[in-house]
Amino acid sequence: MIEFKNVTFTYSSVNADGTPVQQNGISRLDLTIQDGEFIVLTGRSGCGKTTVTRLINGLIPHYYNGTLSGEVLINGRSIPDTPIFETAKIVGSVFQNPRSQFFNVNTTDEIAFAAENQCRMPLEIKEAITKTAASMQIEKLLDRNIFELSGGEKQIIACAGIHVLSPDIIVLDEPSSNLDNEAIEKLKAVLTDWKALGKTIVIAEHRLYFLRDLADRMLILQDGGIIKKLSADEIKSLSIADTEKMGIRPLTLPEIPYSENCSERQSNLLILENFCFTYKDGKHGIHIPKLELPANRIIALIGRNGAGKSTLARNICGLERKCKGTLTLNGKKLKARDRLHHCYMIMQDVNHQLFTESVRDEVMLSMTDNSMTDELKLQRTAEILAQIDLTEYADTHPMALSGGQKQRTAIASGIASSKPILIFDEPTSGLDFVHMKQVAEQLKKLRDMGKTIFVVTHDNEFILACCDHIVRLENGSAVFISQNPAETEDYQKST
Amino acid sequence: MKFGLAAASQKSILQLDPRTKLCLLIAVSLIMVGGKTVGVEFILRILCAALPFVLLLTVRAFKSALIYVILLGISVFCEGCVIPNLSGTPNLVLMILCGILSRFVPGYMMGWYTVRSTSVSEFITAMDKMHVPYFITIPFSVMFRYFPTLGEEYRSIHDAMKMREIGQSVKNPFTYIEYVLVPIMMSTVRIADELSAASLTKGLCAGGRRTHICEIKIKLYDWLLMFGSMAMIALFFVF
Amino acid sequence: MEKKFEVKDLITAGVFTALYFAVTFVVACIGFIPIFMVFLPLIGPIFTGIPLMLYFSKIKHFGMITISSVIIAILFFVTGHPYPIFIFCISAGLLTEFVLKAGNYQSIKSCVIGSSTFSLWLLGMVIAFFFGFRESYFASLIDGYGQEYVDKMMGYTPTWMFFAMIAMCLIGGLIGGLLGAKVLKKHFRKAGMV
Repeated sequence: MIEFKNVTFTYSSVNADGTPVQQNGISRLDLTIQDGEFIVLTGRSGCGKTTVTRLINGLIPHYYNGTLSGEVLINGRSIPDTPIFETAKIVGSVFQNPRSQFFNVNTTDEIAFAAENQCRMPLEIKEAITKTAASMQIEKLLDRNIFELSGGEKQIIACAGIHVLSPDIIVLDEPSSNLDNEAIEKLKAVLTDWKALGKTIVIAEHRLYFLRDLADRMLILQDGGIIKKLSADEIKSLSIADTEKMGIRPLTLPEIPYSENCSERQSNLLILENFCFTYKDGKHGIHIPKLELPANRIIALIGRNGAGKSTLARNICGLERKCKGTLTLNGKKLKARDRLHHCYMIMQDVNHQLFTESVRDEVMLSMTDNSMTDELKLQRTAEILAQIDLTEYADTHPMALSGGQKQRTAIASGIASSKPILIFDEPTSGLDFVHMKQVAEQLKKLRDMGKTIFVVTHDNEFILACCDHIVRLENGSAVFISQNPAETEDYQKST
Repeated sequence: MKFGLAAASQKSILQLDPRTKLCLLIAVSLIMVGGKTVGVEFILRILCAALPFVLLLTVRAFKSALIYVILLGISVFCEGCVIPNLSGTPNLVLMILCGILSRFVPGYMMGWYTVRSTSVSEFITAMDKMHVPYFITIPFSVMFRYFPTLGEEYRSIHDAMKMREIGQSVKNPFTYIEYVLVPIMMSTVRIADELSAASLTKGLCAGGRRTHICEIKIKLYDWLLMFGSMAMIALFFVF
Repeated sequence: MEKKFEVKDLITAGVFTALYFAVTFVVACIGFIPIFMVFLPLIGPIFTGIPLMLYFSKIKHFGMITISSVIIAILFFVTGHPYPIFIFCISAGLLTEFVLKAGNYQSIKSCVIGSSTFSLWLLGMVIAFFFGFRESYFASLIDGYGQEYVDKMMGYTPTWMFFAMIAMCLIGGLIGGLLGAKVLKKHFRKAGMV
């Protein structure tokens, strides 16, 4: 049994000027979780759900600094007073970012890692790994280099490491935010298995559809407190309208409408020709002889992991020089090298594309036109920042911003570069409902500015919210192209 | 980035224990760098020069082995035939180059063999068995785990710079270095934070001696090779 | 050691040593052209000083820098560098440790000096090329070329170069440390990451 008794936690950190800041984690939380319960915590980012998971696995107060009051008890034992390696024996944790939760390079070593730390006998660990691999069907993933695995496979390895030790309590902090639908299904299978074994599971999540049949209780948090509690039956009866009202993601996976006939006849076309590219391993790549797409639209690139979505995006962008394909836009044929001047990609991890010391400099950096005077550049920068609601952050260091603001900074420099094609790589991974909607609105704004937008995504809710066209990739070829009827109608009405 | 030990165990005809490799490494670098070219040491040098070649063959590193033989051959040929016929600056330059080649390349090749043939877990297990303290082995394994990440980070940043056409607009090399290094440093800080949190929840440093699922054993030929390298070192110091 | 190392310390030591090593490696690749090899002790620390300063700013305990120096030594040794690398690395590490301790692990000034002293380990890598094998190599030449010739050769690699290299390390490290301090101020403090 996990008990929270009147728990308040405030993070203490230092801001840019060196003055200490108090950030609210959770306030006056009372919660009791019974053995074997499956609890879903959701709410907007910053609502305190991650803090709850950290209180259970002991990272608060043993790792994250702040002031804690109240009691956190597991089976009557106070977690703040227990050394964290003791807690580690009864609580297993899975984290959001599959890239940074691994200690080893080899998958088998990683699965064994926690057990090795507890000084279990090597033979015993090996046996447990064999059993785990069989029950989770991951024999193929053993003794591999972790860096060759996809995000989904990495999360499964993290789960396998927990399964080997089989602790009674398992907490997961947004495990699905970097996964595609197929990987989420696998995660769901693991969770179902654990639930059947009688484990207590606490999961903080934005995407909820895969938890619909598993959750015993769902708690919606806001500003560090629980604002709504839902029972299993209530969760199942929630409609899309209900969840939208609550500001959370839907509990069913929305189907993408499939309509093969592109009714919209457009003169302004974007033509991809001879887009063939193979990676060095000889297996992965894309093969698209010809693809006609409407310009000035939001086009979603979907498909399973490894189907070639990102490869296509990279090739459109011109990042693979070996690609011989051409892209025709406004009657101009663009080779890979030329495409670099016409395309701008907003990467999944925007931290990689922000270089300067303030948001304003970041936008100015994109204005490579030497004929512009500095004054003109400043003026244009101010305009762009106003368009994208970043004016008040003009002097802030990009890395001091929140995730969403960083993404908008990257978009702002994309606009400043005045390139006609913008490419987004997974812009909504790890975003809550409200922020996802905001990104959708942002993309529509960009379309209204006359940009052609490609979005690599596996977020169906997001596709429905803004994409006009959908290109589905399978094994490197474009399988079908369809229109999002609701969205296109909307757009045609408005113009 | 190509350096760093292998992730998965390697297939090799001759499975040597990492500790044996260390012994051989010491012998080769000691004798090749310091040895004379006469008498017993001459024989020792030939042995030490041949060792990396044979070992590289056992891990199927044929290309490296070939490059090694060619480099060594060139330097021996130069020392024997070309240098005596030269004088002045070319003589000096060639002389120093050959000296470096013939004396350091065997050590590097031995090192390359060690890196190629050992997986990270084998290496860490060996260090643990040699009673290297945890505050060395833990950072060491973190480092190997971080090398590939550094490569990934660098590639993304490089792509972003290409796409933003920063290479062309920034002329100052220091600004360029700043643009590459700062994002990498930022993510290094972030990854250190997240990795520490994850490792804590997996009970790292719980006290007690960690166990290892990786098995390394000193076999008969390990003993022989170790004994052999000790003998070579002993001979080297006696003569 | 006053305090047991925490997991965070060890992991910080691991990732930053990796970053430091990678930067050194990249710079050393430029050093493959022999003439640059001579200047490696000067050029190397200028670049590595930048991540090193960030690492120093994260250090709160005695011992972390020594750990890093031992790891660097092991890594270079395993990749085939001769054994003097251990002596140079560990001495440079310990020296830096005391410099940082003198500044209570907070003073920027002692961090910059620390960046300078830490780069002395590079001597272990470079010196072997110039001196480590000199005596024995030339001794082996005496038989073939005669004493006179060898004396002339010895003259081309004079002993003062050793001191010149120490100076280069210290100066390079100092420049690197100052650059690093600038980058810290410009980016990391503004982003609230130090």
